[in-house]
Amino acid sequence: MRFSLGALVELLGPALLVIVVGLLATTASASNEVYFLNALVSVAIVVAIYVFVGISGVLSFGQISFVAVGAFAAGVMTVPVESKKGVLTTIFPILRDHSVGNVPSLLLAAALGGVFAFVVGMPLMRLSGLAAGIATFAVLEITHNVLREWTKIGPGATTLALVPETTGALQATLGALVAIVVAFLYQRSRRGRLLRASREDPAVARSVGVNIHLERLLAFTVSGALAGFAGALYVHLLGSITTEQVYLELTFLTLAMLVIGGLTSLWGAVVGALAVSGLDSFLSRAEQSDVHVIFTFTLWQGTRLVFLAAIMALVLILRPSGLTGGREFRLRWLRRR
Amino acid sequence: MPEAAALELDGVEVRYGSVSAVRDLTLRVGKGEIVGLIGPNGAGKSTTLNAIMGLQPAHRGEIKLNGQALRRRSVESIARAGIALVPEGRRIFGDFTVEENLRLGLAARRRTYIGDPFGPAFELFPILSEFRGRQAGALSGGQQQQLAIGRALVSRPDLLLLDEPSLGLAPLAVDGIFKAFTEIREVGTTILLVEQRAQRTVALANRTHVLVGGELRMTLGPADADDTEKIIAAYLAS
Amino acid sequence: MSVLASIDLQTLGDAFGLGAIYALMAVGIGLVFGVLRLVNFAYGQLIMAGAYTLAYTSGWPVAASIVSCFAVVVALSLAMDRVVFRPLRSSSPAVMLVTTFAIAFLLQAVALIIDLRDGQLGEVASSIAPLNQAVSVGGVDVRKVTFVAVGVALGALIALALVLTRTTIGLHTRAAASDFRTARLLGVRANRVIAFAVVVSGLLAGAVAVLLTVQNPFVQPDFALEDTIIVLVGVVVGGIDRLWTATLGGFAIGFVSVLVNAALPTDQTVFLPSVVYALVIVVLLLRPAGLFAWGRRAAMERV
Repeated sequence: MRFSLGALVELLGPALLVIVVGLLATTASASNEVYFLNALVSVAIVVAIYVFVGISGVLSFGQISFVAVGAFAAGVMTVPVESKKGVLTTIFPILRDHSVGNVPSLLLAAALGGVFAFVVGMPLMRLSGLAAGIATFAVLEITHNVLREWTKIGPGATTLALVPETTGALQATLGALVAIVVAFLYQRSRRGRLLRASREDPAVARSVGVNIHLERLLAFTVSGALAGFAGALYVHLLGSITTEQVYLELTFLTLAMLVIGGLTSLWGAVVGALAVSGLDSFLSRAEQSDVHVIFTFTLWQGTRLVFLAAIMALVLILRPSGLTGGREFRLRWLRRR
Repeated sequence: MPEAAALELDGVEVRYGSVSAVRDLTLRVGKGEIVGLIGPNGAGKSTTLNAIMGLQPAHRGEIKLNGQALRRRSVESIARAGIALVPEGRRIFGDFTVEENLRLGLAARRRTYIGDPFGPAFELFPILSEFRGRQAGALSGGQQQQLAIGRALVSRPDLLLLDEPSLGLAPLAVDGIFKAFTEIREVGTTILLVEQRAQRTVALANRTHVLVGGELRMTLGPADADDTEKIIAAYLAS
Repeated sequence: MSVLASIDLQTLGDAFGLGAIYALMAVGIGLVFGVLRLVNFAYGQLIMAGAYTLAYTSGWPVAASIVSCFAVVVALSLAMDRVVFRPLRSSSPAVMLVTTFAIAFLLQAVALIIDLRDGQLGEVASSIAPLNQAVSVGGVDVRKVTFVAVGVALGALIALALVLTRTTIGLHTRAAASDFRTARLLGVRANRVIAFAVVVSGLLAGAVAVLLTVQNPFVQPDFALEDTIIVLVGVVVGGIDRLWTATLGGFAIGFVSVLVNAALPTDQTVFLPSVVYALVIVVLLLRPAGLFAWGRRAAMERV
């Protein structure tokens, strides 16, 4: 792969933005830091979704399944063995008796997310349009149901606690950067470009021999691996998690971030995640509520959500192609001599 | 000079993005006339009809029906002003019955008339009356085209726009609809006819304009119908 | 045999009752989709608003309470079209859908603020609760509301079918749903058919609000949210392109959910969603255009 200067600018824009947010996180007070870290983890999740939804043009409501699997795998496998015997009494002995470190847990989550996405994607990637949207949503429902009820693999409906909080400013920034670089390399690769071409015109892509099913499956798998990885970052940020935190609200919020930023570009994914997270944090501070991470039903206390939802709807109505117009980051003043 | 103009286009430009599909088009269709519009594929013929109908907004210029400006009005209000378009590919509702298709045509009718509302369609195409209870999708291609024209006529339009009505029809069916155009003109309806069958169109129409690359190149009269070379030359002119 | 044995008359009654309510919701969603090509995720919040209206008017005569429920839901439905759907008409399906998510959250948040004024989450709609009492039919206890639900659904569907096939506005609406551009070309007024679809869809949401509130009088901001999600799934599984396939899809998913729930061993019923959604995936893979979509359209591959 060879990159032109323009292509590098495309990568540098989102990367620098993420680094700036990471640096801000280190200068923020302890109570504010979590907002920045949360924004960075949101970037990782939204970029993971973008890799499939943005590049293939197929709607998926299922990517948070892979976030959930990554989060619970990394969480369960990093609770110290001595604590597990007390809190995770029902799980398989092999899971109960072993634990791994922070970095292996991130890799494990990515691998599991990728494998799960590949297995699910094999049959599902034949679908498109609303059928694909609903089938992937069904995957989310099944994943949530199994994680919530099958206590041999996790805490079930109770909270998974005592997960090491290793996602600080450094890990959040690096994690978001990893997601961005992987997404960039994939969308710039031959296969990524083929898939994007197939979104513009499936019939033409098919007629020149592009195997759309295969290309979608690859994107779905890469997206699943990134989502699993992002889930691990998330659980290490929170320190404790329930299945409800990686379910409907997160699905809608992250999809909204992607669409608000601009569905069809990596820059849009990053900008959307940061803009919506930033807005949410600002509204939270304005409301003077307690520190919390990503909104859930239980945290609904007042007008913050009214504003957040209204502003999101307004952006979508006034600017349906998203804040970035769905275009990649460019330095226009560079080109205009 | 012919009678008062039913339709006037003055300096009309239509663009798709940055590409002009029609440039500086000026033409007029007098009341009770048939005017033909021929030209190679991509010349802007259908675009012109779509611009008149409001389906594709014109960027510049005036479009008037009986002296009334049409630009920037919605498709349905243009239909209700008295223009009916028989679109390319007929666009009949295949799942609906013949009668339901005709009832849809009544949506643009400006007033109620005495007698059978479907009269204008049935008089011209008696087969529609016979098949009124059938699924429109089960009709033959020629019958579907008759239905599409009949559906446009029941609204009693002042101006009928026809977009390649003979496309994909058997020769006998083509004869049938060209004969119908003459009859439609006889009852006073004005026609703007876009066609690929150049010779027949030139022979039928009061005037036929040749559109090439979005611009008017030549105007032919019925006398030119047998002058094949002239028609071909008009197509090739660039 | 054990599976069949567990499906008794009572279960069948419940299955028809839930299926009927879901069928009504499916029509409401399918009608708007037909003319706008928009999947309205916020449909459930219309029902929620109706349920709150019933709760807040509990002290009124039942008829007045029900009429105000319909009035609020239809007004909200029209407002949603005017403020949200109309500016979105030329947007992509993804943008439309995500915007309706945002609207759904917005309405829930507003409901929460209103609800919490009394310091407690949830309101009780007590006046129409008596419909929830059981009546005995041939030794089987069936709740009155089941009959009402099935009756209302059948009545509404028949009335709607008549309006769609016999009236001009019905014909225009069907034409718009089948080919909007050609319909407008013929002089069909876009805003009028859309307003018609939105009003009917609102009336159906009002009816569903009444039926669901009878079954569950405790109204919260997420009232009907889960039902709406399931119906949306059912509508796509049945075939969203046509109203009757969408309706059957809504009915089927409600009906099948109740039956599967009854058939599962008691200690496994927590896995009901997994079983139902696994069925959904299988059906979508076998018939991506819709379970009930036969003929030409089903054969067409859509990308």
